[in-house]
Amino acid sequence: MNADGHGGQGPGGKALGKLLTKNRYGAGPIDPNGKLRFAGVGYLNTQPILHGLLQGLGASRLLLELGRPSEVARRLFEDEADAALVPAAAIAMHGGLEIAPGIAVGARGPVRSVVLLSERPVEELDTLLLDSSSRTSVVLARLVAAHLRKGRALTVYSRTPAQILAETRGGTGAVLIGDDALAARGRFACELDLAEAWQAWTGLPFVFAVWGARRGVLDESVRALLSASLEAGLAARTEIGVSWAEAHGGLAAEHERYLRENLHYELDEAALAGLREFFARAAEAKLLPPCEVRLAGTDATTPAAGRHDSRGHDSRSLDALLDFAAEGGRLSFDEALRLAEDAPTLDLGLAADARRRALHPEGVVTYIVDRNVNYTNACTVACRFCAFYRPIGHGDVYVLSREELRAKIQEVVDAGGVQVLLQGGINPDLRLTWYEELFVWWKSEFPNVALHALSPEEIWGLARLETECGEPTTIDEVLRRLMAAGMDSLPGGGAEVLTDRVRRKIAKAKCTSAEWLECMRVAHRLGLHTTATMMYGTTDTAVDRLAHLFKVRDLQDETGGFTAFICWDYQHDQGVKQVAGDTGTVLYLRMQALARLVLDNVRNIQSSWVTQGPGVGQLALRYGANDLGSTMFEENVVSSAGTTFTMDAQQIERHARAAGFTVARRNMRYQWLTTPS
Amino acid sequence: MTTPRFAEIAAKVRAGERLSEDDGIALYLEPDLLAVGQLANEVRERLHGDRTYFNVNLRYEATNVCEASCRFCAFAKLEKGQPGAQTATHEAAWKELAEFPDERLSELHMVNGLDPNLAFEWYEELLRGWKKLRPSIHLKCFTAVEIHYFAQKFAMSHEQVLQRLMAAGLDTMPGGGAEIFHPEVRERISRDKADGDEYLAVHRAAHRLGMKTNCTMLYGHIETHAHRIDHLMRLRALQDETQGFQCFIPLAFHNMHNAMEQLPESTAVDDLRTISVSRLMLDNIPHVKAYWVSMTVETAQIGLRFGADDLDGTIVHETIYHSAGSTVPMGLTRHDLLRLIREAGRVPVERDSLYGVVEEYPRASAPEGSMKVKDRNAKKHLELAR
Ligand code: SF4
Ligand code: SF4
Repeated sequence: MNADGHGGQGPGGKALGKLLTKNRYGAGPIDPNGKLRFAGVGYLNTQPILHGLLQGLGASRLLLELGRPSEVARRLFEDEADAALVPAAAIAMHGGLEIAPGIAVGARGPVRSVVLLSERPVEELDTLLLDSSSRTSVVLARLVAAHLRKGRALTVYSRTPAQILAETRGGTGAVLIGDDALAARGRFACELDLAEAWQAWTGLPFVFAVWGARRGVLDESVRALLSASLEAGLAARTEIGVSWAEAHGGLAAEHERYLRENLHYELDEAALAGLREFFARAAEAKLLPPCEVRLAGTDATTPAAGRHDSRGHDSRSLDALLDFAAEGGRLSFDEALRLAEDAPTLDLGLAADARRRALHPEGVVTYIVDRNVNYTNACTVACRFCAFYRPIGHGDVYVLSREELRAKIQEVVDAGGVQVLLQGGINPDLRLTWYEELFVWWKSEFPNVALHALSPEEIWGLARLETECGEPTTIDEVLRRLMAAGMDSLPGGGAEVLTDRVRRKIAKAKCTSAEWLECMRVAHRLGLHTTATMMYGTTDTAVDRLAHLFKVRDLQDETGGFTAFICWDYQHDQGVKQVAGDTGTVLYLRMQALARLVLDNVRNIQSSWVTQGPGVGQLALRYGANDLGSTMFEENVVSSAGTTFTMDAQQIERHARAAGFTVARRNMRYQWLTTPS
Repeated sequence: MTTPRFAEIAAKVRAGERLSEDDGIALYLEPDLLAVGQLANEVRERLHGDRTYFNVNLRYEATNVCEASCRFCAFAKLEKGQPGAQTATHEAAWKELAEFPDERLSELHMVNGLDPNLAFEWYEELLRGWKKLRPSIHLKCFTAVEIHYFAQKFAMSHEQVLQRLMAAGLDTMPGGGAEIFHPEVRERISRDKADGDEYLAVHRAAHRLGMKTNCTMLYGHIETHAHRIDHLMRLRALQDETQGFQCFIPLAFHNMHNAMEQLPESTAVDDLRTISVSRLMLDNIPHVKAYWVSMTVETAQIGLRFGADDLDGTIVHETIYHSAGSTVPMGLTRHDLLRLIREAGRVPVERDSLYGVVEEYPRASAPEGSMKVKDRNAKKHLELAR
């Protein structure tokens, strides 16, 4: 951290204490014992690096926790780890990190565990299925494939390893990693070892993972500790092979050979050059944000005057960063955080407006004629901020009858509407068949009214309910059955802020961030389109809000299934326990502009005039939004919280035109239903 | 992505050159709203840096009985005794001040209908009573329209009216009643009160007597951009002559309960652009106010980055806009104002009626818009009547 720029504090406990109590954003768990929090990917290939630490080296100074690559990276992003052994791609996505010198998981030649498998040579493929759990491998595969195919495009889908194995044939190739890769060896005619292909192409080693940390964490003593850990690990590769085989199966000798022959643990000049080359090529292909490699403790990273601002951010001037973002550059987490903290609101607006113009050059603002229908207010989740729900058995509990629904849907039809956003509480009286019957009825009565229905919370709720009732059902099955019954798309509600420390505080019983995202991933893979939302302004900090945006961006890279992003701040209501946190008009416009800049892969940004009022909702069109949402007939969840803005189609159009746009009605896929005027 | 025309105008502004009528209209037509805002913000920061003014004032309307029949007015009631017609007694008016809760109240702001039933002495007595109650209170009373009405009704010159009221305690004049000066508009919306020249004549007389005044423009009804720019040009010309205007306040038209209900209201982008264009055109008027009662709290706050440097006072009773359907809260506390200003990344300055500093508050510890954990405790949720 070393936020003030005086580096080289040496190994004293005092400096460390300061480091730990001064967490970046005044948020996030800090280890109460004052230890550094380290996280590492716990795969076989990282064992030599972690070995010494796992044996107790440095235990008085640091805590080490192991996890999957995405979990380890998450900890670093969300300030739950001070340093982490992470995949190379995470270093670029975060930005502004220092790398521990001398240590890496790398390969100079075949690595065996990252392979492109197919029946035909890569030059003859048309589709590639990827296991997107490792972004580094995905980026490597796409770069190598583009090179070998001389730039000829390839359609890329992300799939689970099981799906990949089932679908790989003919013109469809697959990228597999880790155990799945090793297990699939020999099953396909063509096997391209991606590290070997990289080496052949660039003449450089490939680096899979390194230690990354925010500035100042990797001081001399910590670096010495990490080096000692690796030294111990290199000497213990035989034992590692044995214990890995005991715990995870496989042959000890095979494991040892993998560690000795396929992997290289030294981040020397050649490996560094390989890492830099990887970052440069990935940035050029717009697969990762541009990233400078910075080693901790070397001259090149000494925080000299002018290189970093007061928060220890990068040296690039704010103006240069805004220009980069305005031109569509892919922002790293660190860069986005810097914009969130330091950029003037007008400048953020100008950059977001430029992005909006580039993505929607025709100057058309869209909106949809639809209505919200909340089919039940009974809910077992009891979110602290929710004024809408009633506990099961409460006198005010309702479930809308078919007649009530028919009347509401008819009103939509009469108003020229095309869709209903159907959401409700988690009501254990309503089984999956209730929804199926409802949707079938709906489609027979109103075949032209699209069903934009059920947020991830409700989908998970249904999977859980069915399972509890003795009919084990996955969310995949729930979604398939609902789709078969007539569901058209999924709203992105209930996301709140997608970091668990926030969700746990405000909505303890809600699905986790990962589950919310998983539901969207599954829905997208089934071909459903969804939106993504964010309700901030409770206990969240800037780090949480940005982590949310980056999770949406990552999933969108994988699936492309989000049609739009919508954010708003928490609307506090009297009688509701949750107090308001970071809220207000200025922050709203900033968040929305940041969303436009960070979410380079989400086409539409919806202004939330329902919560912000028609005036700010209209201004939002100059801060990155290109859509005015929908004409609201009712919106129980927000209006219970005292916000009662309404605009009819005519008013929406007037506001859009007054802001200098033409207007078109749209459907959920953002296709125009009227000629813009 | 601004137009070449805008680049010309921006160059003029940066060189400190005066903008023409034509430039003003071009600023209204420039598609890039934020660029216009940013240019106005440059001027605003050149003049005032991050300082953003507000004061603690008491709004008062002694009578809503009015002889005139302005079409946009939902406040006035034609005759005494009509439902809703209200004329205060001296005692009631004085009590209002005596019971005002804020110790730091610095200004009493009164505007009225043109009430044919009240004697001139009644007003003099009213002012004297207030001054007696609180000698330090600054009386900002009577629009130019009222002064002109008094002059006609009581057969005095503007100077005589003003001198007598000043002797009774009047300190400055608010800027109301300007509407749109251009006769093409004025004759259609408020033909039976002071015209544009008469409005300006009253302010000229006040300035010559050493009095500071404010000026306004009521926009967003039937006027064109050209009418608005014409209005600003007339104000600028008088200011060149007298230097007596302190602050310009653009007022957005509201359309409820008046004779122009069929007209749509202005929207936030127009409100902000009007702040910006005013800041750029009125190079000789020191302050531009984002009047939150007229344009909503939210838009006014954003206006602090579009050229405005004043957020008006903590108004406790406002009835003129609320009669016409304004849904903003009836009053903001000092606390609310401080938060709004800080959240916009500005430095709050509590001022007196002549822009003397009562207190300069520290800026927020967090940058613009990004309230941090430690600021939260200080932040009270605004219960807006929306
Ligand atoms: S927000 Fe949704 S899940 Fe939470 S209590 Fe309200 S209805 Fe239930
Ligand atoms: S605007 Fe003033 S002069 Fe006109 S009717 Fe209303 S109170 Fe009377």
